[in-house]
Order: sequence, then structure tokens, then C-alpha cells
Amino acid sequence: MSDKKNKKVRIAFFDFADCEGCQLQLTYLNEQLVGLLDHVEIVNFREVISEKSDNYDIAIVEGSITRKHDEERVKEIRKNAKIVIAYGACACIGGVNGLRKKFTQQEAKDIVYKGREFPLEAGEPRPVHDVVKVDYYIHGCPTNNEETIKALKSILIGKGYQPPTYPVCVECKLKENVCLFEKRQVCMGPVTRAGCGAWCPSYGNICYGCRGLLDNPATQGEMDILKKHGYTLEELTQKFETYNLCRMMGEQNEPKKS
Amino acid sequence: MRYVSLQKNKLSQFVKSLQKKYKVVAPVKKENLFVFAEVEDPEEISIDYIPTILPPKKYFLPQHEKLGTFVKDSVSMAETNIDVEPTVLFGAHTCDIEGIECMDIVFHDSPLDPYFGKRKKSVIIIGYECMKPCDEYATCVTMDTLNPRAGYDIMITDIGDKYILHLNSPEGIEIGKNALFGKVTNERDMKNKLLKLREDKLKNFKVLLDAEYKELNKIFKGSYNSETWKDVGRKCVSCGNCTAVCPTCYCFDIYDDVKLDMSGGERRRVWDSCQLDEFATVAGGENFRKERSSRQRHRYYRKFDYSVIKYNKFFCVGCGRCTRTCMADISLIETVNSLTKEQKNAK
Ligand code: SF4
Ligand code: SF4
Ligand code: SF4
Repeated sequence: MSDKKNKKVRIAFFDFADCEGCQLQLTYLNEQLVGLLDHVEIVNFREVISEKSDNYDIAIVEGSITRKHDEERVKEIRKNAKIVIAYGACACIGGVNGLRKKFTQQEAKDIVYKGREFPLEAGEPRPVHDVVKVDYYIHGCPTNNEETIKALKSILIGKGYQPPTYPVCVECKLKENVCLFEKRQVCMGPVTRAGCGAWCPSYGNICYGCRGLLDNPATQGEMDILKKHGYTLEELTQKFETYNLCRMMGEQNEPKKS
Repeated sequence: MRYVSLQKNKLSQFVKSLQKKYKVVAPVKKENLFVFAEVEDPEEISIDYIPTILPPKKYFLPQHEKLGTFVKDSVSMAETNIDVEPTVLFGAHTCDIEGIECMDIVFHDSPLDPYFGKRKKSVIIIGYECMKPCDEYATCVTMDTLNPRAGYDIMITDIGDKYILHLNSPEGIEIGKNALFGKVTNERDMKNKLLKLREDKLKNFKVLLDAEYKELNKIFKGSYNSETWKDVGRKCVSCGNCTAVCPTCYCFDIYDDVKLDMSGGERRRVWDSCQLDEFATVAGGENFRKERSSRQRHRYYRKFDYSVIKYNKFFCVGCGRCTRTCMADISLIETVNSLTKEQKNAK
């Protein structure tokens, strides 16, 4: 995307099934966001502005796609946009919404809406790439602003953005953190895609795996490690499922590497 | 004068005097482990420590490092001023000093790496000799890195009632002129005393590798297709911890960081690892070391064979970090002993 003579790139944000936490992250960007505004114009951003426009170059899509009319809506967005970016765990990998897949739709409705007179319409949670082609991914729950800026800059200069294919441990070791396994805690870092700067372990928390499993995770190796720490198979599966159930239950399309 | 003495309760005072001229980095506690970090108060220093999480290589090849700047629409890159504060690396173990020596050979090999060179010149190395083993993972005895040999400006040895400082460079000799130090009148006696001490301390150390130093390379020559690599590969999760913590692993990746206003940016490097999926992937998608087993094997061969071919030197200094850090329990000692056993049985 070249910035031909002052023509700003128009960016629009959209949200689907999610908590909007990732969009909220962007409001913390402050002056960085202002710097970026020299090059882009934000035309749709519910967290900050109220006007809307269908004229945009880049669509940043947050949230999982669930209901029929969401499908239609995201297809419409794909038609309008030159570039679609899946933004945040729900959009990139299905995220915690995937946990719904542990139940049938009816069971889930009974749990959530039992006794409610007007149950809301529900659907199958899916990452965006299950419905339309996604050009780039910005992972995380929530997304990490440093990575978001890096990705946006890279996309704006036409280079595109490829998130790391290596695990969180790589960033964690570079920060010289004491490994949580050292403290008898169990961390999903070894099988989770890096890019967050080992956010959680750097603050003493385990990695929950919010950025999703690696393309080529050493599942058996990680399972062996977890077992060694006294976890049952059920607990192990739970650890993997929190963010990855959509993928584990087989997506229609594997995330495309752009 | 090559030796001076220091009273044991004067170590902090010595560090304080260094701080007048230098930034001092030394081992300090981090939770249950240790790291090298800048010290404000010398009392923070943990001089009895096991190898730090990352080795001191981070002061010569930082995890992230700026290489230069560029501006839009220009093909040239501006020279970078590598401004390094004069630093004292205090309390380095002999294995880590040997690690820095290995890095030095690589980065001074042609083409010379100016960034490393500049940093190396700005750091004064004050070692601290190990008198007892750190834990069950270090193989410094076999790798012959237990005793001070070269690569330091000053080596501090605890001889019981006091410290002896070996001044091993013009900078070291300069620092040795401090009034804190006592004279060592008979240098030859002191040398012999230290030799004897080093002979005696050996009985505190266990030999953990079944092969001897001189057999090691031969064992690797015969082990390329060993089943051991498959076992290691099955356990490995490719987290890259073993290479990050290794004092002699120096691979890095280069990337550009563009400024927000897109008018230019910085070219930077960051530590890379041969254990990662993409490391040996080339254009077109071919990956020369797709299997975890082949990546682990590669790491070991870089320590025990390829470096011998290229530099006539082992690039394992026996610090034990790779074993200590591995959450999948891949042990250098077990791996090398398993290869040794296979080779000896094959005879
Ligand atoms: S704390 Fe987690 S992310 Fe960090 S090195 Fe250990 S396993 Fe990896
Ligand atoms: S450390 Fe793990 S859970 Fe935390 S932000 Fe990174 S990927 Fe997500
Ligand atoms: S291979 Fe392991 S023991 Fe040898 S120098 Fe590297 S980290 Fe230390």
C-alpha cells in the first residue's frame, strides 16, 4: 500500500462475537495512534468514533463469526476491503468462544438462557478465515499494541505481516525470566505462537496460550512435560482447549500463511 | 607485578572503587536463580552463584541490537555509533570467560563484526574462580574450562584467608594499583601455590562425562546416525531455550524497524536459534532441518565437531545451562554419555 501523494489509507474496524477488549487496547496507544494518523484515516471505530463508512481499504475484524447474518456481514466487508486483518484471538483462532463447541447448540442455549423468555440467536463460533479469506493475523487475547503497530506499519509499507512461527519461550528467555516450570508451574509457552513479548510470564503468570498453537507444535513433548508435572489427561486437554478448541475440532481451512 | 592480594571483607570496597570509573555488572539473585545485572550497591552481588540464566554474552551481543539507520528512498545506511559505557563484568566464571573467547574468535573472524568488537573493547572482565562445583549439570572438568587460562583482565581466587588477584592485562594491572590491595612479594611462590590449589580442588568435582576430552570429537565423528538423536528429538519442544542460554551460540536474525512516520527506520538484529522451525527454511519453502531430531543434532555438532573443524576448538564450555534450562529434561550429559556408550560398544 503506497501512500501516493497524501492519500491516506482508510481503515475500518468491525466487531463480531467478542468482548471488544482488543479494540479497547488500541485506545491505549495514545500518541502512537496519533503518529499513525498521518498515514491512515480511521473511518469505522465504535470504541472511539460514531460515524460509519463503507469506503475503506483495510478492514480490521475482531471477534468470531457465529450467526448467519454475521456471515453475510463479514462477506460484505471482505467485498469492500482490499485487505482484511483478523484481529485478536476470537477472530484469528476462534479463541475462548470455541469452548462453546464442547456442547451442542441446544445444550449451550439451555445453560445460558435457561428460563429466559427471549433467548438470543446463537451460532457456531468460527475464526474469520473459516468464512472469508484473511490476509493478515494479529493474534492475542488481548492483542499486544507493540505487535499491532509493528504489523500495521509493515502492512502499510507493503511488506505484509507474518506473525512469529516460534514459541513464546523464545521471547521469554530473551527477557531472562525465571521459567515457570522452574517454579513448578505449568506454562503453555512452548506450544504457543510468540509475538506478545512473553507478556504473561514476564509478569509472573503462566502463558494461557491465547495466541494459539504453533503451526507445528510439539504436542507430544508438551504433553510429556505436563504429565511429568502431575497433570491428568483431562487437565492437559483443558489447557490446550481454552483457546484452541476451534482448531482442535478441525477447522475447514487452516490459517493461510500470507 | 602480576599478583596482588585483597582481604576477604574488602570485596565490596573493591567494587565500589570500580564503580567510580565503570558501570559494574555482576551476578545477582533473581528468584531462585541468578542473572548478570548492573549493580548499584555491591552488597547485591551474589558471588557464590550457579551459572546465570543468560550468560554474559548479552553484554557483547545484546539480545536486540541496533545496527544502523536508514531513510526512505535511499539505499545507503548511516554508520552507527556504537557507544558502549566502559563496563566491568565482575565475577564471571571461567566457563563463561571461555564462552566469550569462543564468541571472540567467531566475531573477529573475517568479516569482522564491528559491533561485537567495539563492545568487547569496552568491557573489562574480572573473573571469580570456582573452588567447588555449581551443580550436577556442569561438565567443566571434562571440557577443561575449570581453571583460569586466558580471556580475562583480572582473576580473583579465594585462597582461604584472602583473595589473590591475577592481573592479566594492562587494564588489569592498572586496576591492581589500587591502595586496597596488598603486595604479593614472591610471585613464583604464589604461582606454585595456585597450581597446587587447583590440583587439590579437583577432588571436589565429579567427572560427569564418560568420555575424556580427547575422545569426544571422535565419538561425534561416529554418531551422526545414532538413534540417540531420535530420542532427543522426541522430547524436544523447540522452545529455543538451550541456544539462548548457551555462552557460545551466536546466531542472530536481522530485521528493519520502520518509524511511525515511515520516513525511515532502524536496522536491528535479534538472537535467533537453530532449534526453531524456520531457521533452516530457505526461499521456496525447503527446510533443511525439518525434524526436531536433526535440529538438536545440529546443536550438538556445532559444539563438538563443526567448531573443531573450523576453529580447532570445542564450543561447549561445560556450563550446564542447556541442561539446567530444558523443561523437557534433555540432558547434555545423558546425550553425550549415550553416544559414548554406543561408540564404545560398537568397537
Ligand atoms: S515461563 Fe513459559 S514461556 Fe517462559 S520459558 Fe518457561 S515455559 Fe517458556
Ligand atoms: S504469554 Fe501467552 S497468554 Fe500471555 S499474552 Fe502471550 S500468548 Fe497470550
Ligand atoms: S552446550 Fe550447554 S553446557 Fe555446553 S556451553 Fe552450551 S549451554 Fe553450556
